[in-house]
Amino acid sequence: MEDYQPNDEVSFNADEASNSVKECIESILGGVDYNQNKVNQWTASIVEHSLTQLVKQGKPFKYIVNCAVMQKSGAGLHTANSCYWDTTTDGNCTVRWENRTMYCVVCVFAVAVTL
Amino acid sequence: MRSKWSTGSTFSNNMEEFQTGEETTFVVDEISTIIKESVEGAIGGNAYQHSRVNQWSTNVVEQCLSQLTKLGKPFKYIVTCIIMQKNGAGLQTASSCFWDNSTDGSCTVRWENKSMYCIVSVFGLAL
Repeated sequence: MEDYQPNDEVSFNADEASNSVKECIESILGGVDYNQNKVNQWTASIVEHSLTQLVKQGKPFKYIVNCAVMQKSGAGLHTANSCYWDTTTDGNCTVRWENRTMYCVVCVFAVAVTL
Repeated sequence: MRSKWSTGSTFSNNMEEFQTGEETTFVVDEISTIIKESVEGAIGGNAYQHSRVNQWSTNVVEQCLSQLTKLGKPFKYIVTCIIMQKNGAGLQTASSCFWDNSTDGSCTVRWENKSMYCIVSVFGLAL
């Protein structure tokens, strides 16, 4: 962050974020079944890796990455987000992933830093 | 800007650098009360209903956000709400934040009744 040169206002690139998050989820949950003992580790890894990838982009943003993993058992799940921010620079992206035994929903929120 | 990693939803305040007044810090207790009241007001006393849950989660986040903005503090806020039917399924959530540890914070409230769980998280980022 200390090396960033402030020039034009940068806005959040949701597609780029979405792709890097998908890769993180695939690498951690791809091919595994829901396991109560491991799910704690999985969600922590997903958020940490996603955050690392986002920070590597070197943009002047604060990030919040949220991940929910739910076992498939017929239950209903609903999520909602509301944000109070600067709509010209800040943004979010949500990635939904599933396999045979579980759902994974990851939300990334990016808030511009005023330097 | 000092940046620190924090995983999970814990807020830590570095007291040795604390120079700002009450108005510019994220007060977890205050936020927690606001969330509890918003959830109770929106879904307290109701049983899980697929046709209404969309409206409920929207009401919870909007109510929280309007109470938070009324505090008049120099913060940007993100409010998330998860409502899940009680059906024996397992649910795990995690958050990781890249921010300024001395001014920013988060607060998560877990609420439940006989038929559903509601988890609300508020993230506050100082301007």
